[in-house]
Amino acid sequence: MDAQPSVIIRTARPWTQGRGYALLAAVPCLFLAVLFVWPLLRVVLRSVLEPRPGIGNYTKIMFSGPYVAILLNTLEVAAIVTGVCLLIAYPVAALTARMNGLRLRLMTALIVGSLWTSAVIRSYAWMILFQRYGIVNDALVALGIADAPVRILQTTTAVVIGMVHILLPFMLLPLIASMRRIDPNLLRAGRILGANPVRLFLGVYFPLSLPGVHAGTVLVFISSLGFFITPALLGGGRMMMAAMLIEQQANIYLDWPIASAVATVLLAITLVLYIAYGRIARVDVTRSLR
Amino acid sequence: MTADGLTRGLARGGSAMLLTLFTAFLLAPIIVVVLMSFTNQLYLTFPPTGFATRWYKAAWNETAWFDASWNSIQIGAATAVLSMILGTLSALAVTRGGTRWTRWVASLVIAPMMLPHIIIAIGLYPTMLDLKLSGTYIAVILGHTVVAMPLVFTTVSAALRGYDPALEFAARTLGADGWQAFRHVTLPMIGGGLAVGGIFAFAVSFDELMLALFLAGPRTETLPRLLWEHLQQTITPVIAAVATLVLLFTLVLMGAVLQLRRPEAEPAS
Repeated sequence: MDAQPSVIIRTARPWTQGRGYALLAAVPCLFLAVLFVWPLLRVVLRSVLEPRPGIGNYTKIMFSGPYVAILLNTLEVAAIVTGVCLLIAYPVAALTARMNGLRLRLMTALIVGSLWTSAVIRSYAWMILFQRYGIVNDALVALGIADAPVRILQTTTAVVIGMVHILLPFMLLPLIASMRRIDPNLLRAGRILGANPVRLFLGVYFPLSLPGVHAGTVLVFISSLGFFITPALLGGGRMMMAAMLIEQQANIYLDWPIASAVATVLLAITLVLYIAYGRIARVDVTRSLR
Repeated sequence: MTADGLTRGLARGGSAMLLTLFTAFLLAPIIVVVLMSFTNQLYLTFPPTGFATRWYKAAWNETAWFDASWNSIQIGAATAVLSMILGTLSALAVTRGGTRWTRWVASLVIAPMMLPHIIIAIGLYPTMLDLKLSGTYIAVILGHTVVAMPLVFTTVSAALRGYDPALEFAARTLGADGWQAFRHVTLPMIGGGLAVGGIFAFAVSFDELMLALFLAGPRTETLPRLLWEHLQQTITPVIAAVATLVLLFTLVLMGAVLQLRRPEAEPAS
């Protein structure tokens, strides 16, 4: 009753190429078990075991301090960013999907190039643009929209603009991909049958672009939840999101149990969305990153 | 007829304007940083009042930037190599290993890319302390590999799906052992995807802040971390000069990827 029977069974089964390949997964799985799964488990365990076993950290998060407000703010900002991204990306993607040749390549280079630029550097650029006597304020005063320079930095508006700038490619790429798959003959058929442009859009084009909308929306929303650099630099102090809260609790207050509990909540929200998304859309999430 | 022409003209004008605004929005921050780096003033003024290279000289004279850049390049290169090995192994297992649980392997490998880095960071920090690795290059490299590996996995998986697995089977039938089949059949077929994945992994590591904040130490300071620390304190245009050089370097990396991808067919979209 020890290891021997299993050895016999294994040699009795015929060798297949597939099984040999599957064994290769052992190394990366071990690596991820030690450096990804165990660390995550540890965060979850720490949130219920420290400083003493129980759900003390969670009741503290629920009923005291700014924690719930910050988590809600995170969800709110993520929703706004996702909405703004969709509003900007949808028409741009629809136009890009019809391009070809040089124009399409330039557009792709612009979108992918944006994906490659450092988030720290881009947030720094927005800090320059948004400062009290910066170019945006100059423009606002010159156009008569504001009487005097207004505070843009440290507001939700600044954070949303900075985040939209970083996340637009994640909305655009799945949208463009699904829009390029729409058969132009379907639109032609609709037009011949007498549909006006609005009807054509609502009845044919939009429903067919929905896979891209789903993929982009979930991708942008999930990514927004964990944002740190942009809200920290552009929202600075006045505006707080979950990742900043976790970093602050761990690095400044050294309150690792609370940091772990907030992280666990964030992890749970992300995982639920990730799994739900996999069920609904069944699109390879990573496709859009390539 | 004229009314139809008018609406069509309006639509075309509208789309041209939309694309112009979109392009301006995407490029604005980059243009601002490059212009800022050549300012002749101490403060962040825009538009610049004159042209000067003093901030590049100032950056040149500060050894911390060199040390951080060198650290980032070393960590990025090691992350790329490790990600390429682990990413290829998992891609082979998932695309060629025909068992049920390989689907779970795929989800596991992809997961770090979807989760906020802060959660991975606060989990890895005590793990690295236990392993007595905190603050070392190895700690940062391992942490970066966790988040960079998915990119190699996806590019190599795509390359593996791009040709018939019978090629490897043929090699095995003709007497090649597993390694020979990989070295002479698989590797030449996935070379492009592997290289692109490696560059992606390098780029992820080169730009990563959160894990570096928790896992790096004073002697393993990375470039994003140093930029971050400078942004927290006094902001001088030196940052813009360094940022411009980083942007230039990123552009070179991106060019390399485009070059590598050229022989392949137009990306399936």
